Amino acid sequence: MIILGLFGVVFLGYLAWLTWAAIAYPIPLSYNLRSLWQRKVATVSTAGAIALVVGIFVVVLSLAQGLSKAFVSSGRADQAIVMRSNAQFELNSSIDRGQVRILKVHPLVAKDATGPLVSAEVVVIKIFQKSDGADTNVTVRGLEPTGIRMRSQVKLTQGRWFRPGLSEVVVPRKMQLRFTGMELSRILKMGGRDWEVVGVFDGGGSSFDSEIWSDVVDIQQAYKRESFSSVLARLDTPERFKAFKASVDEDKRLKLDAVSEKAYFTELTKSGDPIRILGNLITLILTVGAIFAAMNTMYASVSGRTKEIGTLRAIGFRRREILASFQWESILLCGLGGIVGAFLALFANGIQTGTTSFQTFSDVSFAFTITPVLMLEGVAFSLVMGLVGGFFPAWRASRIPLAEAMKG
Amino acid sequence: MNGTLNGSMNGDAIIKLRNIAKSYWRETLEIPVLQGIDFDIPKGGYYALMGPSGSGKTTLLNLIAGIDRPTGGSLEVCGYELNDLDDDELAAWRNAHVGFIFQNYNLIPVLTAFENVELPLLLTPMSRRERRERVEEVLALVNLEDRMLNYPRQLSGGQEQRVAIARAIVGDPDLLVADEPTGALDHQNAEEVLNLMARLNTDMGKTILVVTHDPKAAHHARFQIHLDKGVFDKTVEVNR
Repeated sequence: MIILGLFGVVFLGYLAWLTWAAIAYPIPLSYNLRSLWQRKVATVSTAGAIALVVGIFVVVLSLAQGLSKAFVSSGRADQAIVMRSNAQFELNSSIDRGQVRILKVHPLVAKDATGPLVSAEVVVIKIFQKSDGADTNVTVRGLEPTGIRMRSQVKLTQGRWFRPGLSEVVVPRKMQLRFTGMELSRILKMGGRDWEVVGVFDGGGSSFDSEIWSDVVDIQQAYKRESFSSVLARLDTPERFKAFKASVDEDKRLKLDAVSEKAYFTELTKSGDPIRILGNLITLILTVGAIFAAMNTMYASVSGRTKEIGTLRAIGFRRREILASFQWESILLCGLGGIVGAFLALFANGIQTGTTSFQTFSDVSFAFTITPVLMLEGVAFSLVMGLVGGFFPAWRASRIPLAEAMKG
Repeated sequence: MNGTLNGSMNGDAIIKLRNIAKSYWRETLEIPVLQGIDFDIPKGGYYALMGPSGSGKTTLLNLIAGIDRPTGGSLEVCGYELNDLDDDELAAWRNAHVGFIFQNYNLIPVLTAFENVELPLLLTPMSRRERRERVEEVLALVNLEDRMLNYPRQLSGGQEQRVAIARAIVGDPDLLVADEPTGALDHQNAEEVLNLMARLNTDMGKTILVVTHDPKAAHHARFQIHLDKGVFDKTVEVNR
């Protein structure tokens, strides 16, 4: 820990000195830019390798970002999900009708013109075929009409909402892009029944873009369920959640747990961890390769410019000015690749994809989301690669004995 | 020049060498290159360092110009005992006091003639405008004012060497050192460069020390210092 801390201090100190050197030191950056231009082939191939790594880095980050956005945008702070005690997710929860009735008349629950804003819901998993032919689990949610109104980010884009008792479903528009047979009027086989697709909705990038919705009673009947998976309850204000949770905990008739809908979905973002870990591992391996590519290019550059270095030193430039100059050249080289890579990653922006959540064991649709912040992170990452990859060649350039450098 | 440096001129001698020695080591074997070199060069002198290959001419030039350090003896140049200066001080000293002219010009290929000449001034507190005026002035002096924006690859060998001379004098140094300055030039360009160096000596009072094999180049000097096998041989006054 102490060693890491010391390393951090040295690194930050070096970075600060380098920044200062760019402003105060006399060797102009144009010298480095033109030197890079003069070695076009080496510059383009190294910058290309850096661009590739940065592109992958940004895309990996955008995967995690897209997944996180899908879950985080699903939950509201003023809504609570009530599940069986110790059930972490809706799939392993069970609530009976009596408990639902108690929750519907809870004094802290908000009401609108139609009554209390509470939706008793059932969640089941059904296998569907994706467009690429692979089978995957899909969450099917049975909910009450109130449940639709409580999810304001969900908008109907085609057809109409399902009607109770008619075995009708509505599907997300984004799911239509990734699965076969989800078009309007198509029949889906679920729970031994035929279900007609009567509407298409847009979940606004939330995790509801990965769910098929139908009437809660129809789903219960088809899957022979007496109980519900969860109850979604709206509170007047987010601040009331604490009191609501305490009241649910204390009510001996319920034996249920209330969690904030926002916290529930935030927990679900952990389903992106395997992707993140794998992506980071791939990026790490590629990064090591890219750093060596940058190092190799810079070593070749130093070796080919020994006489130049000697001339600069003879004129009066000091070792540290040579070090800063070559270090900046490496940073410029990698930064150039980083900018290209960050823009290349833009091609992935908005592309719809999905993964299996290890919490819900079902498919989660989400889009690659390349934000300006992610692109800047990618460029910053390339600058760090330039800093690390260029340090040793720059150090070598600054340490060549002057008389030796003059010989070339 | 670094303000912390403490130098003073002793009499008229700009270069004072006392018992200078230089050796290189190959593993445990010491290879002496220079031994017991003693001589003074007065301010404003024009000297040629001569001798057969391996006699230590370039090594001695490097010691005098602060590019290398002696392994023995005392070396006072432009009022500074070079052995007392650390690397940074020596770099600052070179910038302020020495102009270099190399056989292969040693121009930075990615910089224009103007930018090459400007390089030594980047280490001084001069403003951009002052630097521009000074660079234009010395480029005019070497008749290259119309080539300022050309890159070295766009210049002839003679022009490149004149740019190198302009770079050597732009900081108004006391001492010019040249290592085979005409070695890569044809007769006409060599003559032009030698005449230019002679003018710098006579008109501007620069002290010049040239390492050369070329008798014609050596003839432009007023004195020739001959080395042989790393030791001082003789000083010869050139008769014109």
